[in-house]
Amino acid sequence: MKIRKLTTLTMLLSISIILNIIEPVIPIPAMGVKLGLANILSILALYMYGSKEFIMINFLRVFMSHLLRGSLFSVGFFLSSSGVLLSTLVLLLVFPYKKFSVFGISMVSATMHSIGQLGMVCFIYQSIYIMNYLPIMLILSMISGIMLGVIIKRVLRILRVDYE
Amino acid sequence: MNKYDKGYMFIVIIMAISVYVAFFFFIDNTNQNNKQAIVEYKGKEVLRIDLTIDGQYVVSGTLGDVVIEVQDQQIRVTKETSNYHLCSYQGFVSNNAIPIICLPNDIVITIVSNESNVDTVIS
Repeated sequence: MKIRKLTTLTMLLSISIILNIIEPVIPIPAMGVKLGLANILSILALYMYGSKEFIMINFLRVFMSHLLRGSLFSVGFFLSSSGVLLSTLVLLLVFPYKKFSVFGISMVSATMHSIGQLGMVCFIYQSIYIMNYLPIMLILSMISGIMLGVIIKRVLRILRVDYE
Repeated sequence: MNKYDKGYMFIVIIMAISVYVAFFFFIDNTNQNNKQAIVEYKGKEVLRIDLTIDGQYVVSGTLGDVVIEVQDQQIRVTKETSNYHLCSYQGFVSNNAIPIICLPNDIVITIVSNESNVDTVIS
């Protein structure tokens, strides 16, 4: 791995960990909803380097942020992991076809995070009722996906990375 | 935003509406005045509360005591130890389809209809 690539990936990972940790401070009127700012960095890694680096940033981010918070292998850790796992798998399936734009990729990632996390809550508590919250989560994550898409597109343009 | 993005948006909106509609019909509103709340800790029932009687209850969660209040056939968590206090902020719940879930304390409160009591018998 070249030094430049290694440094960039380290920076992307560290920024995503910091965003993941400070994100709950940002007030959102809906309960349990986050903006998913850390997603920006993993999608940047996907466009800049490819799927291997994308997987690496995604999973290391979840692991490191929970390790730093002291909540490793807690319920929250498994929720984050399930969201990341589903969104990573779906993105790896849709990204190679180049059908979606940056906005689409960001939306897919955000919505799959929500579905994965709610699915995990259902599994842990053996209750389907939490899926009642899915419509709100889906609509809000779609909106946040579009917002993050704007940021990702801008950053990719500044970094002169081909995103079309 | 291209046509595939818009298509995905459309699918997500349809999915959200269908889940909403499915749960709307799934909610059991037949027995409004005879409800009970089941409090579970780590998946095991620890307390069953009659929602017709107002009062305060305390159950032990993973991070400490969870204080539950019943008022006007509604239930809420008033005090608990957690990072973001999401279940306290949720407020009163009286709907069968909406549980109160306090993840850090492994506490789940669900409302069920009390089927053992019969309101009216039509013969």
